[in-house]
Order: sequence, then C-alpha cells, then structure tokens
Amino acid sequence: MKTARRIPLLKKMLAQLGIEDERVRLDWVSASEGDRFARIVNEMTEQIRQLGPFSNNGGGENG
Amino acid sequence: MAKPKLALYWAASCGGCDVAVLDTNEKILDIANLADIVFWPIAVDFKYHHVRAMEDKSIDLCLFNGAIRSTEQEEIARLLRDKSKVMVAFGACACFGGIPALANFANREEIFQTVYHELPSNSNDSGTTPLTKTEVAEGELELPELFDTVLTLEQVVPVEYFVPGCPPPVDLILKLVDLFASGQLPAVGSVIASDKTLCDECERIKEEKKITKLYRPHEIIPDPNKCLLEQGIICCGPATRGGCGLRCIEANMPCRGCFGPPPGVTDQGAKLVSAIASIYQGDNEDDIKRMVEEMVDPAGTFYRFGLADSMMKRKRLHKR
Amino acid sequence: MEKISIDPITRLEGHGKIEIFLNGDGDVENAYLQIPELRGFERFCEGRPVEELPRIVTRLCGV
Repeated sequence: MKTARRIPLLKKMLAQLGIEDERVRLDWVSASEGDRFARIVNEMTEQIRQLGPFSNNGGGENG
Repeated sequence: MAKPKLALYWAASCGGCDVAVLDTNEKILDIANLADIVFWPIAVDFKYHHVRAMEDKSIDLCLFNGAIRSTEQEEIARLLRDKSKVMVAFGACACFGGIPALANFANREEIFQTVYHELPSNSNDSGTTPLTKTEVAEGELELPELFDTVLTLEQVVPVEYFVPGCPPPVDLILKLVDLFASGQLPAVGSVIASDKTLCDECERIKEEKKITKLYRPHEIIPDPNKCLLEQGIICCGPATRGGCGLRCIEANMPCRGCFGPPPGVTDQGAKLVSAIASIYQGDNEDDIKRMVEEMVDPAGTFYRFGLADSMMKRKRLHKR
Repeated sequence: MEKISIDPITRLEGHGKIEIFLNGDGDVENAYLQIPELRGFERFCEGRPVEELPRIVTRLCGV
C-alpha cells in the first residue's frame, strides 16, 4: 500500500521536473491475469512510443 | 621547509562558506601559520593571473565552494584543478549544487526574461541583457556565458573530498584542516561528515512514524522535543547525511537536506518521496489525493540543495 | 588602447572585474566595472512555498 501513496507523490514531483504523467503508470495485476498484463504493457508501450524518447538536454552538459 | 599552499575559491556562491572558514575565529591564525594562502578572493588580493602563473600541482589544498553555472566558473574550476594536488568540494553548492541549483527548474532564457524584463523592481527600459561581448568606444568588454544548467564541481573536474553543509559547520572545517595537516586525509572520495543520517543523530523523541496530515512549518507550533516528521512537518532528515550538529532542528525548524544524501542513497528526492509516502496513513483514494495536495512543492523541498546532484539533474530542457 | 584588467576584485563579497582603458598618454580614458555572475534567485524563488523563502534568500549573501 505504500506504493499506492508513493506513485502519486512521485508523479507530482516528476511533473515539476517536466516529465509527462503518462511516463509513469501504476496498475495492479495478479499472476493469473496474463491477458490483462499483456494488454497493459502493450498500451504503455504504445503510449511511450507516441511520447517519444525522453531527452534531457542538461545533466553535465552546458545546454 | 616551505609551508603547504592553500587556495580557496567561490563560484556560484554566496560567500557563506568563506565566512565559515573565517568563523573558525582564532583558529584562522593556526590555518595561516600552517599554510600559505595563495588565492582567496574574499580575503586576499591575488588575481587569476597569479594562479595561471603557478606550476601545476603546486597548490597543496584547494577548497572550492559554489556551483558551476558559467564559462568563467568552469574555467577557474579547471585551472585550480590543474594547479592543485587536492581539490575539495566545499559546501553544499560545490557538492550538490546548493540553492543556486534551484535555477535548474528554469533555463538561461527564462532567468534573463524574469530578471531583465519582467521583474517589477527592475528598471530596464532599454531591455538590456548581458552579452558575452560588448563593443565600447575604447575597445571590447567580455562577460562569461551563463549556462542553462547548474553543475556540481564533480560534474566538471575530479574531486578528492567533499565537505557538505550550507555552510559547513566550523567543527568539520577544522576536522578537514586537521586531517590535512597531519597527513591523515581519508580515502579519496570521502565525505567529511557523518556516515549516518540526520535522523540517526537527532535526539528528539521518536515514537511511531504515522501521520495523517502534512503541516507547513508555519501552520503549527512544533513541539521542540518530538520528532518533526511525527508532528506532520516535512523534515528531510531521513534522507540527509548527518554531522551538521542539528543546527536547524535545534531552532525547531525542519531539515532541508543541506548535507546531501546519506551513504547508500543515490537520489535524495526519490528517497524522501518514498519516506513521506510511507509514513502517511491512508489507503483510500481521497486520503492519497489529500496527501499529494498537502505536499506543497515536493521537487523544491526534496531537492532544495541537491537538484544538480539528482538523477534528473534538472527540469527537462526542451531543444530551442 | 591599452587595457588593464583587475580580475577578480577582492576583499568583498561577490564577483567583479574592472577593465581600465588607457589612452596614448597613459591616462585613464575610461574604466568599466563588470559583474560576471547571475544566479537567478528572482526566477527560482517563484513556485517555492512562501514560508521557505527566508531559508532560501538568506543564501543570496552569506556575509
């Protein structure tokens, strides 16, 4: 249950850093829900593909 | 035998670290007796050309404070690195970026826009902004170029030791001087502070870490004997290195992390998100939503002194 | 024109350099004081909780 609180707070912080909400996703899937797992992973993959690679033109470089 | 040579420099800094060295009071005389100070702009009149003329590795110890956010600061960091045997990242800015690293929420253009155009207290009708080269009647003037991103010293040059804190407390400064004078400097890469967290060193009464509401520090008067986190006040103690002497805690103010992350923690902010969310009680959607709302400015609070040192290093910079 | 640079200026808080231009007679034709630093407090204080400002703006000057 700590995860359920950590992720929304993390997302708020990541938003301040310019990271889109869609790049982090929390779902609860049990081991017996194979199809659901596959669907969620495919959705996320497609979503990230549309967002494009994350690039941060800072971090050690003079932007 | 010649005395060892000592240099101190400030990059994007406030002067507090230099004042901290002066705060050693009468012990500054011991430092002056121990070493020849060959460069220290706040106190001594040596110029950059004096440093350029020195032989490589002729400075025995260089205490470098301030973050790097301009071509001049980078140049002098590299210059002093070449001329020094031992380079110390002195103070939170050189170690982690410090307060100036909060500028990593913006970029140069945005800073110029605010400072030179939008600020109500500025009078700049001509809309002048700094230029790296300016022609004047007599010749040409130069200014360094400001970076979009604030860097720590280690992101620019190799560093042997780190003395954290904003500013470093006098006892740690004297400890560093002592270790240097006695030839007992620890392993390269060491942080001259405690290896525990602030929480470990805090003497307040800790019971159970369970809170149902986050309070901003001005909303309640904290009990000076109890753990601040347990009273619902965000304190960065769980993810901050100890050794500061609990200066803020003893003033009944919560820690804001100026000693950087403790050993074993790569990203101070992530650790704090984890810690705060862990102790907050409430599992339903409303509780969680409330917690997120009550946590005002997580990035600016959890990375108050360490944005440049975080995994992200800065807010996303978009290509222009 | 001959130029004398005083860089950095010392024994005060802050960064500065002075460029002095000398004319043919060796007299000072003009002198310029330049401040080669900017940290951007005016910008990055925006968005911070107001009660945190006292502990942020005190880092403008540690003297």
